Amino acid sequence: MSKFGTLYVESDSFFHRMEPSLKVLIFVLWSITVFMFLDLRVDLVLLALGSVFLLFSKIPFRIIRNLFIVVLLFTLTNALFILLITPEYGTVLTGSTTNLFYGLTFETLFYIFTLSLKYISLLPVVMILIFTTHPSRFASSLSKLGIPYKWAYTFNIMFRYIPDIQNEFKTIANAQAARGLSIKKDEKSIVKRARNLFNLTIPLINSALARIDKVSNAMDLRGFGKYGKRTWYNFTPMRKVDYAVLAMTVIIFLMFLLFRIYSNTRFWYPF
Amino acid sequence: MTKIVFQNFSFRYRNLKEPTLKNITLDINSGEKVLIAGQSGSGKSTLMHCVNGLVPFAYDGEISGKLFLDGIEPYEESLFKVSKIAGTILQDQDSQFIGLTVGEDVAFVLENEMTPLKEMQQKVSECLATVDMLDYINHSPYELSGGQRQRVSLAGVLSSQSEILLFDEPLANLDPVSGKNIISLIDDLHKETGKTILIVEHRIEDVLERSVDRVIVIDQGEIIFNGKPCELLRTDTLKNAGLREPLYVEAIKYSELKLEDDHKLDDINNCDHDTIKESVTNWFEDKLPTEEDFDTDKVLSVKDINFSFVSNTKVIDNVSFDIRKGEIVSILGNNGAGKSTLSNLITGILKPDSGEIVLDGEVINNLSVKAIGDKIGYVMQNPNNMTVKHMLRDEVTLGLRAGLEEADRFNFLNRWWRAKSKVCENTIETKFIDTIKKCKLYGYRNWPLSSLSYGQKRRASIASVLAREPRVLILDEPTAGQDYSNYSEFMKFMNELSGYGIAIILITHDMHLALEYTNRSIVMSDGKKIADDTPANIFSQEDIVKKANLRETSLGKLADVIGIENKHGFIQHFIDFDRERKR
Repeated sequence: MSKFGTLYVESDSFFHRMEPSLKVLIFVLWSITVFMFLDLRVDLVLLALGSVFLLFSKIPFRIIRNLFIVVLLFTLTNALFILLITPEYGTVLTGSTTNLFYGLTFETLFYIFTLSLKYISLLPVVMILIFTTHPSRFASSLSKLGIPYKWAYTFNIMFRYIPDIQNEFKTIANAQAARGLSIKKDEKSIVKRARNLFNLTIPLINSALARIDKVSNAMDLRGFGKYGKRTWYNFTPMRKVDYAVLAMTVIIFLMFLLFRIYSNTRFWYPF
Repeated sequence: MTKIVFQNFSFRYRNLKEPTLKNITLDINSGEKVLIAGQSGSGKSTLMHCVNGLVPFAYDGEISGKLFLDGIEPYEESLFKVSKIAGTILQDQDSQFIGLTVGEDVAFVLENEMTPLKEMQQKVSECLATVDMLDYINHSPYELSGGQRQRVSLAGVLSSQSEILLFDEPLANLDPVSGKNIISLIDDLHKETGKTILIVEHRIEDVLERSVDRVIVIDQGEIIFNGKPCELLRTDTLKNAGLREPLYVEAIKYSELKLEDDHKLDDINNCDHDTIKESVTNWFEDKLPTEEDFDTDKVLSVKDINFSFVSNTKVIDNVSFDIRKGEIVSILGNNGAGKSTLSNLITGILKPDSGEIVLDGEVINNLSVKAIGDKIGYVMQNPNNMTVKHMLRDEVTLGLRAGLEEADRFNFLNRWWRAKSKVCENTIETKFIDTIKKCKLYGYRNWPLSSLSYGQKRRASIASVLAREPRVLILDEPTAGQDYSNYSEFMKFMNELSGYGIAIILITHDMHLALEYTNRSIVMSDGKKIADDTPANIFSQEDIVKKANLRETSLGKLADVIGIENKHGFIQHFIDFDRERKR
């Protein structure tokens, strides 16, 4: 974790320098594209593009690997459940049946493969958004996209106070552990550990409520919400590069959109 | 020109029966620096909230009488308009630090005022330069000390250019040196800018270190004193209002000097008046310190403890000390000196890299937190962070049950189970009654915790630890944010507990606490133990005081001013005399 207690990885890359609102926009359009198609070709193109992005983002390989493993595990379980629950879904989509063995069909397998790649192809943009965007610039960029600043500012507050609450949780847990109500390994019974964890919620909520009161007073006293608009200390103007990227993004998105309209098939199955 | 005018002003919070402020009539002039003092619940914070607009915009209630702020009536306007006139620096430096970086936090007001970016950046730098924090502009709040955060908050308020600055207990949660620095900063600011400044505090001695124009003392919602600090210190007003007098003033009063108009007690340097000199010198008996009669049984021994986190710097560096039965010991030191790491090592939450911790002859380093918890109790500052149950009874017996169930784990013979659990219930009940009697909560034994007062809740949180019959009790900053009367009451209770043979370790940076209530202080600095001695000895040694970010007490200063050479003897005499008086 960075000094801000968030996931931001301090570095300098094309994506670190990129206007955050643009990253949010790319993320949104990318997701729309991914969910428009059930097409292996699109998945592969996006995945290839995303991998190139990741290369340029200078996010440490360790982080990429760990997150990739998590998402891979998720898609694998997902795939397994589809196989168990709807083994004929591929046939429903394509209308043909190629039995491999038992109830397993080639069509379903192909469907699952396409679906899994679809999820994985989301990963690069998510990572770029999370790891290369400085938390301070995040709220201001959301407001630039037209999101009301009071909403956008909640992100700032979140980034600011999450580490505080984590610390508070630790100290409260320690004090309770010293009273014999541990949530760690020295309590052998899992049930009791869970019960002790539940007990922690009360003081934690108490302190969170007290904090909310103080923070909202502090914000009121310093004029938050005075006008319908506000300026941002972390405002960064759009650079020429950003406009170029914006144009490219929109063009590529439109190409995918056209392709979707003309291809007209819900699920691409070449065989 | 008068800036703030209260005319027969009263305020009652909506959920309270009685008004919190009663018939306040008060003028504060433009450019004045005023200290508003009073104990918790006296109404001093409410008075400030009336000025900054939180009353009635955040805390609703019933107002009668009039209040003018720069000619306007704040409750008729909006909070935004009021906050433009009066800027507030809140007590909690952590919660009011809203931005993710220093620069952002200072800019917060400007952002909301829709200041253009260029102008904003320039103003932020200017304000940070005023409080001497410009080098930290890109730091996150986690990299700053409490004192530094307070400076940032001050810069944030300065950027709004309010003519009135309100400080809500600026000294709470600060170590002695940071507190001293912030008081000088406020004073310099007052001299440079001529702004009207209101400081709400109960730590009067620290505020009066720099001159103030006027002190207002509030007690039970009414103004009981309004005048010059030197007049105030001659009277017994502070004592009667449950506040602490500066130590040197207390010493002069102990000498039974009849105070006259030409005794200007507000500045300790003026205490070289001949009559004061004579009276105090007569009062001071230069006697050899009496060796206190300690129970020599060691309860806890820390032997050559070392500890470091992942990075290689040692957080605890070869620390050893003993704690004896029924002793009250303070561990002093500034933030980052290793005080809390040390307490985490003793309670077993952290494990030492090398060294031993011995409790009652048994090495406990490798026991689980839970097992250590049977013998060493840990009490947090805020009782709301400790209590988890609704009823007092459940709360106090919770830890007890956890301990007893453990003992029953191997009893799987069912027919014994019932009989045994009955015995169990009986033991729990006896222990419960015994504990709450010790904590003077017997009359509340069937009460819900939420109906208890703050002081009672604190005793309840201690009861819940005490029920397990620990040999040692560790209290983390037990007096932070407490006014004098709460604090004295609490420490009296601690004294009684130590009478039962429980050793008490106070982790604190409150020097008064160490001086008045502990027999011994262990001073930490940079992870090392730099002193282990009586408080009087420690506070009379300049190098230790400096190294640990402590301050010389005003008693030592008084000894200097009136020319008593034996500083240490003087402090000890004061402590002995004071304890005798308060017994």
